[in-house]
Amino acid sequence: MEEKQLARLAQQGSPAAFEELVTKYQSKVFRMALSFTRNREAADDLAQEVFLKAYLALPRFHGRSEFGTWLYRISINHIKDFLRKKGRAKEVALDDVSEISFSDKEQTAKAERERDTEARRALVQRTVQGLPEKYRVILTLRDIQGLAYEDISRVLRLSPGTVDSRLFRARRMLRGKLAPFIAGQGGAYEL
Amino acid sequence: MNCKKTEKWLLRSLDGRLDGHERDLLGEHLEACPACRKAATEYRSMLTLLRDDRGASPLPRFWERLEPRLREEREIVPLVFWERWSLRAIPVFLAIVVLAGAALLFTPRSREMTRSEALLLENIDPLTESSQIFSADKAETSNMMLIFDSLEERTPVRRPTP
Repeated sequence: MEEKQLARLAQQGSPAAFEELVTKYQSKVFRMALSFTRNREAADDLAQEVFLKAYLALPRFHGRSEFGTWLYRISINHIKDFLRKKGRAKEVALDDVSEISFSDKEQTAKAERERDTEARRALVQRTVQGLPEKYRVILTLRDIQGLAYEDISRVLRLSPGTVDSRLFRARRMLRGKLAPFIAGQGGAYEL
Repeated sequence: MNCKKTEKWLLRSLDGRLDGHERDLLGEHLEACPACRKAATEYRSMLTLLRDDRGASPLPRFWERLEPRLREEREIVPLVFWERWSLRAIPVFLAIVVLAGAALLFTPRSREMTRSEALLLENIDPLTESSQIFSADKAETSNMMLIFDSLEERTPVRRPTP
């Protein structure tokens, strides 16, 4: 069944239709929240709140845009509100590396490699948290959510040219911020 | 092709947004420029690490946890709606009371016409009767006329004078 049809059924009070929409988008909304909070529990809570908000806002969904686009807008606004309320807009989750590291017992070469990858991933993700909000949002939508440029343009209500240039600046800024950590530039990591 | 342009094209190529000719030009530059080659490796790794998050999924039983909250909201929503409107109704009610009061206060009341006004409306000189009273020959006659005149009903219809 098409998304708009599902949304219409959900508007008419069908829990099954809304469940289908939730099933389809829960991972995407969760990953978006995770990229901002770097905490699985908080991201899960946020994702639940986003769907609650979407459910309550369903009567205002007129189908002018795709359901996914509409839901992404709700998600971004809700996550931004959450970060503002928590005053965490620029906070860096320092505990993430230890949280996702493997235990000391796993000392095999494979585990070492995986731990190293996790540490690098955590570093990149922490660095993303330090970027200005507009760059974080666009990086999340493109590089974490994997949205097409056209979809990002619709979600953020930006022209395709602005999406292109903002994404370029965001990635360049991220690389610049990672430079001190990169081996060969005085840092410890080989990206 | 300079390094600045290469950086732009490089990032576009990672999104698959370069055509064949542009890809060839980029490849040529990367082969000749170690700095851009290094940048390309770093960007590739950086985006790979970022995109690794694409596999993350929410905690188990997402819908089972969400569904009771939705049901709760469904029950609360009408109440919330009523509360919201009842709260808005208070200032609306007060505004209506104030407006009604102001309307009562400032609307001119329709009042009964005085005899003089009624006479003027009929285009008759209101002083005609008074002048007859004051021009009476005797003081008693004048007084009686005044008494009868004051007892007379206030009516726009003028009693014919004798």
